[in-house]
Amino acid sequence: MSPFSLKASRVQPGSWWLLGISSAVVAGLNVDPIVLLVQIGILVAIILLSREYAPWSQSLKFYLALATFVVAVRVIFRIIFNLTDGSSQIALSLPQLSINLGFGGNVSLLGDVSVPSLVAATTDGLRLAAIIISIGLANTLANPRKLLKSTPAALYEIATAISVAINLAPQLIESLQRVRRASALRGRSKGLGALAGTIVPVLEDTIDKSLSLAASMDSRGFGRRGKLSRTQIISLRLISLTSVVLTSAGVFVLLVGTGRQPLALTLLIAGLICVLVTVRTTSKNSIRTRFKKETWLLQDYVVVSVAIAAVSARVLGWQV
Amino acid sequence: MASLISIKDLTFSYERAESPQLNRVNLEFAPGEFVLVCGPTGSGKSTLLKAINGLAPHFTGGKLRGRITIDNQDVTGRLPHELAELVGYVNQQPEGWFVADTVEDELVYGLEQLGFDRERMANELSRVAKMLGLQDLLDRPLNFLSGGQQQRVAIGAALAAGQQVLLLDEPTSALDLEAAAETVDLLKSLAKDHGVTILVAEHRFNNLLEKVDSVVVVNNDGTVEKGDSHWKFEEDLRPGLHHLDQTSNSGESAGEQIALTTSSLTVKYGDQIAVSNATLNIKAGEIVSLQGANGSGKTSLLWAMQGAGNGSKAVSTGTVSVGEFGDPRDLQPRERLKAITMVPQRAADLLFLTSLSEELSESDRFAEVPPNSTANIFAHLAGKVNPALHPRDLSSGQQLALVLALQLVKGANVLLLDEPTRGLDYVAKKHLASQLRSLKNQGKAILLATHDFEFAAQVADRQLHLVEGVIQ
Repeated sequence: MSPFSLKASRVQPGSWWLLGISSAVVAGLNVDPIVLLVQIGILVAIILLSREYAPWSQSLKFYLALATFVVAVRVIFRIIFNLTDGSSQIALSLPQLSINLGFGGNVSLLGDVSVPSLVAATTDGLRLAAIIISIGLANTLANPRKLLKSTPAALYEIATAISVAINLAPQLIESLQRVRRASALRGRSKGLGALAGTIVPVLEDTIDKSLSLAASMDSRGFGRRGKLSRTQIISLRLISLTSVVLTSAGVFVLLVGTGRQPLALTLLIAGLICVLVTVRTTSKNSIRTRFKKETWLLQDYVVVSVAIAAVSARVLGWQV
Repeated sequence: MASLISIKDLTFSYERAESPQLNRVNLEFAPGEFVLVCGPTGSGKSTLLKAINGLAPHFTGGKLRGRITIDNQDVTGRLPHELAELVGYVNQQPEGWFVADTVEDELVYGLEQLGFDRERMANELSRVAKMLGLQDLLDRPLNFLSGGQQQRVAIGAALAAGQQVLLLDEPTSALDLEAAAETVDLLKSLAKDHGVTILVAEHRFNNLLEKVDSVVVVNNDGTVEKGDSHWKFEEDLRPGLHHLDQTSNSGESAGEQIALTTSSLTVKYGDQIAVSNATLNIKAGEIVSLQGANGSGKTSLLWAMQGAGNGSKAVSTGTVSVGEFGDPRDLQPRERLKAITMVPQRAADLLFLTSLSEELSESDRFAEVPPNSTANIFAHLAGKVNPALHPRDLSSGQQLALVLALQLVKGANVLLLDEPTRGLDYVAKKHLASQLRSLKNQGKAILLATHDFEFAAQVADRQLHLVEGVIQ
């Protein structure tokens, strides 16, 4: 029995994704900026503590930059397209601009920005930021190739497409750097004007690489499957359609209706059951086998329990 | 002996192509036969291989007619994954072909797809690891392996399910001399001792010729001929190779003027030293080759001399001087191109417009030279080429000539070339050799980094060897 460890590779990639998605759900339902900030702090701490060197694990900076950008855009837009809310707490007093649109309507920009409206904008931004960092956590810590192996057979093709895309990202950056160095050899600047000269060779390169990988997988038997009868195919499609409808309805009720959590949960659970039925039936049709059995360790149970506990607490209306 | 692969009346063509890639091809291959498939660049040698495992037409497009049988099964028009346990395929660049992180995962990938049970997978894994000498590497991450080891893993992955046919597209072109020879020996033993039928498409075939049982030549018009390994090669596929040997150093001897000089040039990536204390002089009108295994620092040295720097991580110390221009690293990009110029490993990276004529005239404008200056250099190097062609539809040799013309039009007297022969067949290499010689006669100083020792021996006045960053 190996000791408890939260290093990225010691936890199943599926557990990381579950944690990431749960954290995104919790963040999406949150209205308190302080709690959101704390959540972002915890996520970043987990990433820093758990990540190991791998091509997909170097993107934390990117997610942080994106999150900051989102918060900034949210706040700046609120200041520009300012709606006067009658609040007396004024944070910023800016000259008001009135623009006549020519068909009777006036649009006013800037003006007095109240504290509550700034807080609301920041909270909105932070919520999106926390969702971005949550997905960032999953992306940084889960090994996409290992995730692919533990995917149910029914989702294997889709998961392969995603995994190829994730694997291509570092390659894309590498060819981008190579082509930019090459254009410097031709005396071209590295500025925006050189964009055309960069995009064509980089895209060519990336498409070549993806096609080559696809050809490799196909040559080795990827894409084989057993045969299904027509009725089986039709009933499978019906069940998967039902699962999509049920899940969407569940999410809708959860986000819109206040005080209707039991209904939302029922819909979500019914949808989930349909998904499981589809996945199971389709998986039986697959002939693919696995060489190594992935075993769940203590750390997986811990990560998964935390994820489930956080979501249930939030959905059932308890404050974490 | 009964044949294992039989190809009858196979024709393969792309829509709107002038001539078919393969034209009424009839071929038979016996079990355990080791076959070299050769022909000029752009001929259908890869297509012939791909047609056997279904990648053509399913991945390449185009139209296939005729009949292919493997082991008495008609496989014409079948998909690659339907043929996976019959035929193993190894692509030109194994590193882009890998689907897993470690050697073991890579080797079992195909077995998982084919639905082998765990016990059988373990048996096949140990069989193939033993066959290719990979037992000690099973846990290694693939990107920590050398080029030769990666090639062995790619071959192992293609044979793991017990495939009796192995197709390889240019398996040695990216390898250094030693790894290439090892790969050829390995293939020979797979054919001889394990009875695998092997078809290798390759244009660096000198060390293959002595080992193969038969040779298939794919001509430019799509017709195919088969013979034994001693057949008609001297005159047909290696024209001028011997001729070149005789004339290689008969050009005008180098002048006395030093065109490029470096002293104690060291290139580091962080703590890692790529090139250490390189000191060399190249005279005007001299061709110098820089040889060395993959990763020996050839490319880093070239980029450091050129002055633009190979990315921000490479730091070079020491001096470089190009005649009156001084150190190219201190020059503005446009000024630098008047002193020294470089063609990188993938010449096509420098091309981005949609036709040859646009590339040529844009180059004249950028270099501020009279119209047609670039076109004249290109015509001198490559002859007459349809100016409406898309640069990416040019052959590798023509692309290289185009990039040479673009780079030389500003009048630099020092030319650096990184692996210029990659992807060139013998005819194109012969052209390149005469192009370089004519540039040399114009007084250019040329440094070429290559692991193509044959080519270096043909064109270079002097050969330098780089071993782990140190010039020997």
